[in-house]
Amino acid sequence: MQDTLTALVAKAQPEFAALTTRPEFEAAKARYVGPNGELTALMKQMGTVPKDQRPALGKLINETKTRLQPLLDAALAQIETAELRAQLGPAVDPTLPSPDVGPGTYHPLTLVREEMCRILRKVGFTVADGPEVETEYYCFDALNTPADHPARDAQDTFYLPETAKFANVSKKNPEERYLLRTHTSSVQIRTMLKGEPPIRIVSPGRVYRRDTTDATHSANFHQLECLYVDKNVTVRDLKALLDYIFASLLGKDTKTRFRPHYFGYTEPSFEVDLTATHLPKVKKPWIEIGGCGMVDPTVFADVGYDPEVWSGYAFGMGLERLAMLLYGIDDIRYFYQNDVRFLKQFA
Amino acid sequence: MKISLNWLRDYVALDASHDEISRAITFLGFEVEQIIRTGAPKLANVVVGEVLVRDKHPNADKLSVCTVNLGDPLGVKTIVCGAQNYQVGDRVPVALPGAILPGNFEIKQSKIRGQSSDGMMCSAKELGISEDAAGLLILTDRPALGTPINDVLPPGDTVFDIEITPNRPDALSHLGIARELAAWFKLPLLYPQETFRGALPLDEPARPDLLRSVRVDSPEDCPLYTAHILSGIKIGPSPAWLQERLTAVGLRPINNVVDVGNYVMLETGQPLHAFDARKLGGASIVVRRAVAGEKLTTLDGKERVLTPHMLVIADATKPVVIAGIMGGVDSGVSPDTTDLVLECAFFKRQSIRATGKRLGLTSDSAYRYERGVDVHASLEAAYRAIDLILATAGGKVVGPAFHVGSDVPWEREIIVTHDYITEKLGFDIPAADMRAAFEALEFTITREEPTVHPARGPAWTVGIPSWRDDLDRPIDLVEEVLRLYGTDKIPAAVVSSPGLVGDDDPIVRFNRRVTDYLVGHDFNECVTYTLRPAKEIATWVSATAAQELALANPFVEDQSHLRPTLITGLLESLKLNQSRGVAATHLCETGRIFIERNGQNVECAAVGFIIAEPVAQRSWLKREPVDFYAAKHHVAALAAAAGIDLARQPLASGPGPLLGWQEGHSASVGNIDHGWTARFGLLDLAMVKALGIAGKVYAGSFAILPEKITGETARRRYADFSLLPAALRDIALVVDAATPASEVQKTLAKLARAAAATAFALEAVSAFDVYTGPGVPAGKKSLAFSLVFRSAERTLTDEEVNGVFQKVQDEVAATTPWQIRK
Repeated sequence: MQDTLTALVAKAQPEFAALTTRPEFEAAKARYVGPNGELTALMKQMGTVPKDQRPALGKLINETKTRLQPLLDAALAQIETAELRAQLGPAVDPTLPSPDVGPGTYHPLTLVREEMCRILRKVGFTVADGPEVETEYYCFDALNTPADHPARDAQDTFYLPETAKFANVSKKNPEERYLLRTHTSSVQIRTMLKGEPPIRIVSPGRVYRRDTTDATHSANFHQLECLYVDKNVTVRDLKALLDYIFASLLGKDTKTRFRPHYFGYTEPSFEVDLTATHLPKVKKPWIEIGGCGMVDPTVFADVGYDPEVWSGYAFGMGLERLAMLLYGIDDIRYFYQNDVRFLKQFA
Repeated sequence: MKISLNWLRDYVALDASHDEISRAITFLGFEVEQIIRTGAPKLANVVVGEVLVRDKHPNADKLSVCTVNLGDPLGVKTIVCGAQNYQVGDRVPVALPGAILPGNFEIKQSKIRGQSSDGMMCSAKELGISEDAAGLLILTDRPALGTPINDVLPPGDTVFDIEITPNRPDALSHLGIARELAAWFKLPLLYPQETFRGALPLDEPARPDLLRSVRVDSPEDCPLYTAHILSGIKIGPSPAWLQERLTAVGLRPINNVVDVGNYVMLETGQPLHAFDARKLGGASIVVRRAVAGEKLTTLDGKERVLTPHMLVIADATKPVVIAGIMGGVDSGVSPDTTDLVLECAFFKRQSIRATGKRLGLTSDSAYRYERGVDVHASLEAAYRAIDLILATAGGKVVGPAFHVGSDVPWEREIIVTHDYITEKLGFDIPAADMRAAFEALEFTITREEPTVHPARGPAWTVGIPSWRDDLDRPIDLVEEVLRLYGTDKIPAAVVSSPGLVGDDDPIVRFNRRVTDYLVGHDFNECVTYTLRPAKEIATWVSATAAQELALANPFVEDQSHLRPTLITGLLESLKLNQSRGVAATHLCETGRIFIERNGQNVECAAVGFIIAEPVAQRSWLKREPVDFYAAKHHVAALAAAAGIDLARQPLASGPGPLLGWQEGHSASVGNIDHGWTARFGLLDLAMVKALGIAGKVYAGSFAILPEKITGETARRRYADFSLLPAALRDIALVVDAATPASEVQKTLAKLARAAAATAFALEAVSAFDVYTGPGVPAGKKSLAFSLVFRSAERTLTDEEVNGVFQKVQDEVAATTPWQIRK
């Protein structure tokens, strides 16, 4: 019997090792240890063996079983490995390109706007929004722009027909006309009318000028304006903000300077220049970047803030201009053409 | 405006460099757009020399070696020269070692082709006085040897082209700019002194035959009108100095009288007009509104049809000048004019602006009146012009002189304290410096007194001069102090940053969220123009939108309307990329659109995208083409960003076609009347093709009223979920091909819920197969759904699930028109 069992193991060993599929495995397993298997058949002979030999034989059979099991396990492991390997195709060529499109890209104007908003958020400014279709009051009157000011001319500003109705753009006076906002300063007015000081907002957005489209002009472009209203706001605070913004954006060595200027809604008013000789295509020592000033008391009075109590500053700039400066882009039309070769450069 | 430095020096002794003056103008608040230099710059070590000997250079055919005499004490030098236009005996400019010529060209002792050279003989171009580089500048006047070249050459001029802000009409003149520079450099300002002060000569008889009357019918447009008669003048060219001045600032000299008028305007800012007295019919002047239909041919040769809005200067019968803007061709000064009427008037800016706008006409005079002329200086200017006409054209002033209008004396005072200015600036400027700034600008300090807090400085009562009508509040004086102090000296500070007082606007957050989503899904974010052509809107949106969204005054035809969709702009960008052979498939944009509803428009926040078939690009590995459900998936995500669950919305693929979208392959949901709307699917194949775009384009858009995005979403509540296994049952139904899957799904869910009742829960009913073909009758389709049941308390047994599932099947058979597919 011993010999029979040893022969059985010896026979099973190469058979198991040669198994390559699960059905083969199951069949082989059945041949030996299945209900009709050879080992099972031997066990069934147990009844024919004298009683005193049975324990020894039982032991022998068990030993054989124990010897067969690792062989079965190994065979199964080998098959599983082979099965997994079969799931793989040939090895990849990692140098082939992915056929998928992308990655997606943010528009450079979005990137610049969001960077400015992040910089400003750090010093307490939150982003405000307002309609692009505006009325004469919010765009001009409330900003101390006299009725006969050239900026209000139909030559420079887009108007909607007098019959036009905009259900969700409120008018201050029923007879005023709708127009396309020429600056985002109208958001300042709406924010001041809606809220209470102190106010710290940044309003980026699309604005419109009736202008020829060329390398530096566009019928619509984007501005970003800041408004701060509080007690005891000073010119020095305004300068500090501008220094902070441009040092954050362009590096610590960036300097800003104020040149006195005139805007109807600020007094005093300044134009802001910055040094940016490290930027591409910048040749002049000072680059004009925006306008700013202390909110004119007339504007405060108009929105019902006591100019004796409240003071504030405002700053505004063109986003295209800033993006052109930052990236060295020399034609504003590229922003609106969306050539994917252009868009992919800023991701 | 152009400002000549030589001219400025008539009023203020400026010896600062051009750069310093330019910087001063800049920091005074005027932008220097250009600096134009004429004549020779200051040149050290350039002197007059005479060529004594001219020998051919031994080593170069085109060069000469010259011996040049510079006189005592410089002596005789050897100079190598390449020019050909001179002869022995000519006197020429010689630049010696140490001279720096324009272009930062430094002259050094040098060797040229082995021959040493002690300097350079110069052309006009090398000296920076003209573009003439043809040869040496031959000094035909033969100035003394060794004379510094600047003593020989005409002095030249520097012209600053300055942009004047609209609040500063006083600076539209040389005197105005001189006043500012005098204040900046702390120099005295010298006003021109007129000889004529209004007194008519007693020995000359009055000449009412030249001008009998002046009448102002429209004093609201013309508060002051003055006229003087000058008789016996002789028209001719202006003297050289006057021509030089006008030429320097870009004006063409015409004749002595016209030139004086221009000169005085550019000196004082007050426009003037001279009439030939003979041409004033009835020897009278009437300042009045034009009568409708009156005509006048202006100096530019154009016939102008006048309206009653326009102010004119008329004689007894007809308009002769458009007041303050431009004269007529017939009444002006001509070469044979001998008697003049000189007008010096003040016209209201609104009147000039309105007339100029109506006529599309402007002039140097109109430009100044539009911005505001100092009425209190008008007479001074008239006297100044009379002086200069008498000096350049002869003649004499005769009576009668006319002075029509009230001359209300100017008086304005502002009280401001040192403390107030300091508080606004945020840093201290000494009180004495503030006071000095006011005085430098010719403001009069009528009082200075201590305030309640004497330590914080005095209070001043500041008299504002008549030419500074822009100043009327204490805050205005803050700017004046700061201007003269220097805005470049504002001390640095740290931004104070208290906590945020709010959060970003919900629309801004929505835009960020959807852009992040789309960019994260491989879209290229685009920015397209808001203004679109009418035809496109009529084609892609609706004929009424093409009417209602029109601008009143478009600038160009293809940008005449507000956009009602983002899709057309994106298609335009797609087309541009395709035409340039650039791979572009996924484009998106966020921005405002304008939707027309029943005659009313609304402004909406919107996001849109297009997904185009990659047409020209080939790839070594193919991907599944994009389809309707990809567009649906993205739109659902965009709606979710606004807090809207698209799965809960009734989706319509009709009724009827949506303009621009392919019928049967697109859907719309929502309604802007209720706050939002979305569309997605395949764009109309024929319309896309008509645009010249190759391949299919899927698209999606979501628009919402800004006020509907509140940013306040209700806090979600956690719902318990079962950890026990689910039981799945599948059911396939044969339904009409047109029956929406959602209808079947909802019915199944309702029936299954009813069947399971409270025993356990129906977790989901989801479609997993749609089939048409063999085994399904024509006009029908088979929809297969998987029903998922689960209990929170126990593992479900087959019997109980089967029981419920059987009930569902029975109900379907009994209550719906659908057949269960076995």
